Amino acid sequence: MKSNDAFKTAYKSLSHARMRSFLTMLGIIIGIASVILLMSLGSSAQKLILNQVQSVGSNLMFVIPGTPSGSRLASPASVQGIIIKTLVDRDLDSLRQEPSIEAVSPEVRGQARMVFENNDTETTYQGVSEDFFSIRDFNIVKGSLFTKRDVEAYNKVAVVGQKLAEDLFGARDPIGKTIRIKNSNFKVIGLLEKKGVGPFGVDQDNLAIIPVTVAQKQLLGVDYFAAITVQVKDAYNIDYAKQRVTTILRLNHRVTDSTKDDFQINTQEDALSILGDITSILTAFLTAIASISLVVGGIGIMNIMLVSVIERTREIGLRKALGATNNDIMKQFLFEAIILTFVGGIIGILFGAFTVTVLYFILVHTLSTGWFFSLPFSSIAISVVVATITGVIFGIYPARKAAKKNPIDALRYE
Amino acid sequence: MNDVIINVQNLKKDYVGDVTTNALSGVSFDIRKGEFVSIMGPSGSGKSTLLHILSFLDRPTFGSYNFSGKSINELSDTELAHVRNFEMGFVFQAFNLLSRSTVYENVELPLIYSDISAKDRKGKVESAIKSVGLTEKTYIEAGKLSGGQKQRVAIARALVNNPPVIFADEPTGNLDSKSGIQVMQILKDLHAKGHTIILVTHETYTAQYGDRLILLKDGSIETDGPMKKTEHKNSFLK
Repeated sequence: MKSNDAFKTAYKSLSHARMRSFLTMLGIIIGIASVILLMSLGSSAQKLILNQVQSVGSNLMFVIPGTPSGSRLASPASVQGIIIKTLVDRDLDSLRQEPSIEAVSPEVRGQARMVFENNDTETTYQGVSEDFFSIRDFNIVKGSLFTKRDVEAYNKVAVVGQKLAEDLFGARDPIGKTIRIKNSNFKVIGLLEKKGVGPFGVDQDNLAIIPVTVAQKQLLGVDYFAAITVQVKDAYNIDYAKQRVTTILRLNHRVTDSTKDDFQINTQEDALSILGDITSILTAFLTAIASISLVVGGIGIMNIMLVSVIERTREIGLRKALGATNNDIMKQFLFEAIILTFVGGIIGILFGAFTVTVLYFILVHTLSTGWFFSLPFSSIAISVVVATITGVIFGIYPARKAAKKNPIDALRYE
Repeated sequence: MNDVIINVQNLKKDYVGDVTTNALSGVSFDIRKGEFVSIMGPSGSGKSTLLHILSFLDRPTFGSYNFSGKSINELSDTELAHVRNFEMGFVFQAFNLLSRSTVYENVELPLIYSDISAKDRKGKVESAIKSVGLTEKTYIEAGKLSGGQKQRVAIARALVNNPPVIFADEPTGNLDSKSGIQVMQILKDLHAKGHTIILVTHETYTAQYGDRLILLKDGSIETDGPMKKTEHKNSFLK
């Protein structure tokens, strides 16, 4: 039997039972649509995150305290809740003298209740130096930023994000108002432009930025930093600057063994690579979960094919009587399973792509997020291949069962 | 001996189950090309078992069977399928048509397994349908035809590959007498054109279309000889 005849025969058999064929395909349609949807969401999320990291600036380095761990994906000591006091003022002064460095900003952070009149909200305050705003591209829409003088004079001033201003002041102008943070009064001098959610999930509109000196001494009672952001001069290579920062900090911290650094330096490149890996792993994990529904769909196809083989026992006997070989029968039933999964796969891809598109429009136009539309070709290719392989794997058993039927027993079957 | 197409020697068939049933116990005969042989016998005499073995649908437990010089014992399942396809035609009591397929598709079926291209199949299929007088029904679903028409489609399917031998298993069993006569007339015409016809029936008037009668009883041949046109008319089931 020629393959095109086997295909036509299989197609005819399926088209004679359209509703059943469609219901059989449903499992595959849902499975493939899930794979497409999750791969697309993963890819979009990856693009979004990487875009946000890139928007921070490619000439930045982040120095955080703690010994670098062996694994790239392990969280730093500070994230694990371990307080490390190794980054101090002396480091800041040394880094400022390094020719390859444009600017540095120390950073401390805390969570506190902020009060204005009868309004209050629990949110993040960030203690930074005056250079922070230019380094991180934070601009104001109203008022002014604090200066070097404010930092050195321990002035209790604050620049607030849009959401915080809205929570505390409503429609009123926040400039000149006084807010209370941990029993200290701060004068609001600036309102930041809307920034959205940052690369690490921090809402950059719901924070108060205050001079680092005030945050350290008045609010936290510490003399170390949680991080130092370093901006490299355009003329210098970031790897060279990273090397220089490493050397300076090792000298300051009297580290002679390079394996015993008490700080780590992350460039944007590092962050991109790590975040890329994390989102890829997450996408693969979600896709693997979605693939379970494909297996379930495949078992559904096997089940229906087995029923079909029993129902069509006489037909199999007849075909064998008329000259069909075991191979011909096997081919016909295998083709039926493959057509079911292949067509189911195509419908699943279209359904998945449609869902992705609808989701994109909802996220972008209704919820106004910076979501990216992404329908990776790999997701489509993988879906088609997986669907067809599913058809072959789950179609083989029923097809073999059909092929092995004894022609005379099959013809006698009632 | 050269024109012997079927040679059966001491053919035995046992069905093994909780109780072993001896369906055929040592049957021997020859059938020559162009013969019209009627095989008769009461229920359980082994006539259907014999037809299934002769048509390569089943294998004997013991004995030898040669079809056109090919021994059933030496052929693989695939080779048996090829012989069934090219050298045998089948007409069943229950028609065994694909009811959702058209007359054309049903008649075309054996040619599909002969690896003949769709283009070459067309002429053969149309000619076979024409020979049973169903041209106007070519693209009608087989399930919508009358019993007599269905059996004529089955005959067209049996002869589409122009096989030398046609096996007919109770071809008139599900038909009214008028349709039965039409079907037997077609088989008679095919015999006149040189086909070897092997007919299994329990109806005397149907058997009498043959020119040789093999009468089976309890798995053995009771008589084998030329058909005497009225001899068995009412007596074979006694």
